[in-house]
Amino acid sequence: MRAFSSFLGKEFQESLRTYRLLIMVAAFVALGVLSPLLAKMVPDLLNGTDMGGGAILRVPPATALDSWGQFFKNISQLGVLILVIVDCGIMGTELAKGTLTNFLAKGLPRSTVIWAKFVSATVMWTLCYGLALLVTWGYTLYFWGNGPLSHAFLAFTCLWVFGVLLIALLILGGIIQSNIYGALLAAAAVIIVLNLVNIAPQAAKYNPISLAGGTVNLLSGHNTLGDYLPALWICLAAIVVIMAASLAVFDRKQL
Amino acid sequence: MTDVLQVEHLSKSFGKTTVITDISLSVPAGSVFGFIGENGAGKTTTMKMILGLLKPDSGSVHVCGEKVRFGMTKSNRYVGYLPDVPQFYSYFRPQEYLRLCGQIAGMSTSQIARRSTELLEMVGLAKVTKRIGSFSRGMRQRLGVAQALIHSPRLLICDEPTSALDPVGRKEVLDLLHQISADTTVLFSTHVLSDVERICDRAAVLHHGTIVLDGNLADLKARHGSTGLQIEFSHPDDLARFRSLVPARLLADQTDTEVTVRTTDPKADMAILHLLAEHDILPVRFEALAPSVENLFLEAVA
Amino acid sequence: MTDQLRSYLPIIIPLAVIEVGLMIAALIHIFTHKNYRFGNRWVWVVISVLFNIIGPILYFAVGRGENQDDEQ
Repeated sequence: MRAFSSFLGKEFQESLRTYRLLIMVAAFVALGVLSPLLAKMVPDLLNGTDMGGGAILRVPPATALDSWGQFFKNISQLGVLILVIVDCGIMGTELAKGTLTNFLAKGLPRSTVIWAKFVSATVMWTLCYGLALLVTWGYTLYFWGNGPLSHAFLAFTCLWVFGVLLIALLILGGIIQSNIYGALLAAAAVIIVLNLVNIAPQAAKYNPISLAGGTVNLLSGHNTLGDYLPALWICLAAIVVIMAASLAVFDRKQL
Repeated sequence: MTDVLQVEHLSKSFGKTTVITDISLSVPAGSVFGFIGENGAGKTTTMKMILGLLKPDSGSVHVCGEKVRFGMTKSNRYVGYLPDVPQFYSYFRPQEYLRLCGQIAGMSTSQIARRSTELLEMVGLAKVTKRIGSFSRGMRQRLGVAQALIHSPRLLICDEPTSALDPVGRKEVLDLLHQISADTTVLFSTHVLSDVERICDRAAVLHHGTIVLDGNLADLKARHGSTGLQIEFSHPDDLARFRSLVPARLLADQTDTEVTVRTTDPKADMAILHLLAEHDILPVRFEALAPSVENLFLEAVA
Repeated sequence: MTDQLRSYLPIIIPLAVIEVGLMIAALIHIFTHKNYRFGNRWVWVVISVLFNIIGPILYFAVGRGENQDDEQ
């Protein structure tokens, strides 16, 4: 347990001193600010556009839901991209450079390394995601008041779980390939495959990728809980499987 | 004396390439053991198997009587390891790095504080407060020695500790190892024979994945090394007279006034000395050549 | 129009603070370090100043030198 807390402490120090935490926090707060701003700007910019032939474009004023729509879109695209860029070296850099050798040679269990990295990355993701959420929530309240949001907790949890899935993938990819490219490849390949699967509309209900972008429909009440729960369970199961695979592969890895 | 490290019938291959073939060796407590071999002879592979970082195909390793299991690093609490190019987290300061090392090794906070002050003093990094990222190679190597010793291991394993260093750095690290050997058994690999000559009392030569020579350095020298005499004369004429007295096959490496005589035992040396006296030849220098590790090595791998 | 602009202020100001803050952080780091993973000092200064938010993030993520080795 002591080894775990020491190594976890090292992970947080590393995030701080290599500016990974700074990047994540700044980017996610910016995304949190940007979402309501974009929602507010779109009607203001488009309104009064001459469509030709005397027709003038009339766009209804933005609502709280537009703001949340922007939030989900921004975080699930740019936010996830930043998460991947910041965390892609989490396992691969250490294995490529051999910085773990000194500690493994002192009796640090290999599983402790994996868990410390998974926990630190997940905590950082939770913190940044929470910050973005809080900022968008504050502005949405300020501009549009507190509209009714259905299933808010689950809607926000879905995207968070998808982020955790990516963290697990980055760890497994890094272990298999022993470099950051393995991690990037694993994350990219899974996102592409899931997007391809999503072409079939029947699959959407079970596809973890629908946790990433689609949950605004849950907030608006367009979709029901049942439309997302299967995908959520599958995503959670996938995280468990990927972590188990990471532990198994790393234990057998010759260093 | 008990053996700190026992390696028995160890073999290892990567794919089709066999790196280590059935090697056995034991390192008694308190010795400085030189593990000699050319680059690629399999030294690093052997060391990583001792640490449980690589899985042997067959054979066993015992450290302090405890069997080493691949991936399970329990036996490593007895071992300190200095990799050939130690890698650190560049954003840490030396004190911070040693603190983490100590915590991982399960030491108490007060132990860590005392031991890291002691070690940083010993390796000459006590006053260094900059981050490891800006360290020179020599400094990294010395910090590597400190991190390997933080938990006071019984056996220190160093992989080519001097190969990347300039002469000053090399001397510093060798002096360090010598200093440590007072209370820690040291096993270090090298392809630099003069390093072995300088600090080791035991050595093994690894060649193409097998041990071709192993034992106490003094015994080895007595048994193997080709001895000889080097004689220098004041005048070339003396040398010419001397040459006419001994069979030509015994003579080697000569200049105008100097000659090396191949002899195999002290009796032969005495005979040469008598011969010189009988014929009233006074050499300016008469030296019994000590067998060098280099000779041992060349003979072993020939 | 000014009314509309004023309604944006509460959102523009924090965004500007983040932008300027990140830019200053990046510039300080650039000027106190000699080595970059790629590019040189002036390339990173231009990128950090010209591209809001993305520029400094790019610098910290990929441009920042791993360490300031005194080896060549």
